[in-house]
Amino acid sequence: MQREEKQLEVTLEALISQVADLKNSLVSFIYKLENEYDRLTWPSVLDSFALLSGQLNTLNKVLKHEKTPLLRNQVIIPLVLSPDRDEEIMRQTEGRVPVFSHEVVPDHLRTKPDPEVEEQEKQLITDAARISPDVAQKQIQSLNKMCSNLLEKISKEERESESGGLRQNKQTFNPTDTNALVAAVAFGKGLSNRRPPGSGGPVQSGQPGTGPIIAGASGMQQVQISGAPTPQQPMLAGVQMSQASQPGIRQEFAVCHGSKKPM
Amino acid sequence: MEAPPVTMMPVTGGTINMMEYLLQGSVLDQSLESLLHRLRGLCDNMEPETFLDHEMVFLLKGQQASPFVLRARRSMDKTGMPWHLRYLGQPEIGDKNRHALVRNCVDIATSENLTDFLVEMGFRMDHEFVAKGHVFRKGIMKIVVYKIFRILMPGNTESIEPLSLSYLVELSVVAPAGQDMVSDDMRNFAEQLKPLVHLEKIDPKRLM
Repeated sequence: MQREEKQLEVTLEALISQVADLKNSLVSFIYKLENEYDRLTWPSVLDSFALLSGQLNTLNKVLKHEKTPLLRNQVIIPLVLSPDRDEEIMRQTEGRVPVFSHEVVPDHLRTKPDPEVEEQEKQLITDAARISPDVAQKQIQSLNKMCSNLLEKISKEERESESGGLRQNKQTFNPTDTNALVAAVAFGKGLSNRRPPGSGGPVQSGQPGTGPIIAGASGMQQVQISGAPTPQQPMLAGVQMSQASQPGIRQEFAVCHGSKKPM
Repeated sequence: MEAPPVTMMPVTGGTINMMEYLLQGSVLDQSLESLLHRLRGLCDNMEPETFLDHEMVFLLKGQQASPFVLRARRSMDKTGMPWHLRYLGQPEIGDKNRHALVRNCVDIATSENLTDFLVEMGFRMDHEFVAKGHVFRKGIMKIVVYKIFRILMPGNTESIEPLSLSYLVELSVVAPAGQDMVSDDMRNFAEQLKPLVHLEKIDPKRLM
């Protein structure tokens, strides 16, 4: 019991401070609109609205906070109604409510919304209850999709407009050129006058079967440096096979290859 | 051999397998200056180094479908430099986490009769080009910005024409096999060159 009272008190304090902040920002906004309307800019108005919106949000958060007791269950009953001026109330409301009387109370302590608003709300509730859950789900999804589409369009527009200004004079590289240059260095595309670019196929892949790592290195070792017997055969096999297929030239090479192999 | 560098792979044979990690991009001629300025600031402080190289690519066609490729390179502007023979293997099909193209790489310095030697061995020159540009270093990373020139008459390196209106930019590291953190360093460096150049892993097979 006591804990709930404590909670209630704390909540009320928070609510009062939030509402006071909200009131202050409203006051300053109204002042701005009334006195500075000729110098007012749209971003400044937006700022004020944003401030108000933020404060309403915090107010909502306080109300939804788990430590907040259900205010709905609390009832406020006026204990004394008098038509006399009450200084206390005058002070607390900054002169707006001078008298706590029969006229003032129904307005200030009301809990039901306006009749028109109540009508509309009832209408909406009956409409919502009428449609089936799937239809409701579909409507929700389409709403979400439209919102996200819109957001995407806005963000894309924003991005393009700020980078578009930079991009015109800042194109420092050309991806097509990159590809052309890499192809030229890798397998001579566009360099050789004899070979048309289309048949660049067999040129690129290095040694048959050597693929990654060790094989190629030790294959090379065999030719260049006196090395241990290589586990890699294809390299020399390739050489020998080329000998076989070119018998005419073979004669001169026989000596060379013969002497080079155990190098 | 003296104590070989420590690697994660067992050492077989006479040398360590070196892998080349590569990222490539290009930059348009008009933006070359800004790129060079940025590289001069980012890279190790040394005299700006230009080069003019003539590279010839030799093929050895066997009865297998794919021939063996060797690249011979000589310097056209520096006298007394040895010729450079290079073998590059197939790019390793690594996982997507590897940010650079990785391939086996063997580099040898040779004497001037390299082309005769290769021709005697049975290699035939497939194509050649002239590369002119700048080279920068940062630690073990090498950044080369060069323009590729097509040689109009085979053997005549005086009549050349540019292949495109861009410079090729290559960021490469030659390191022992198994050191994949190298590609992370490369990627971080590449980030610093954006948006001037986009250095990325380009698979040559896709461009065939």
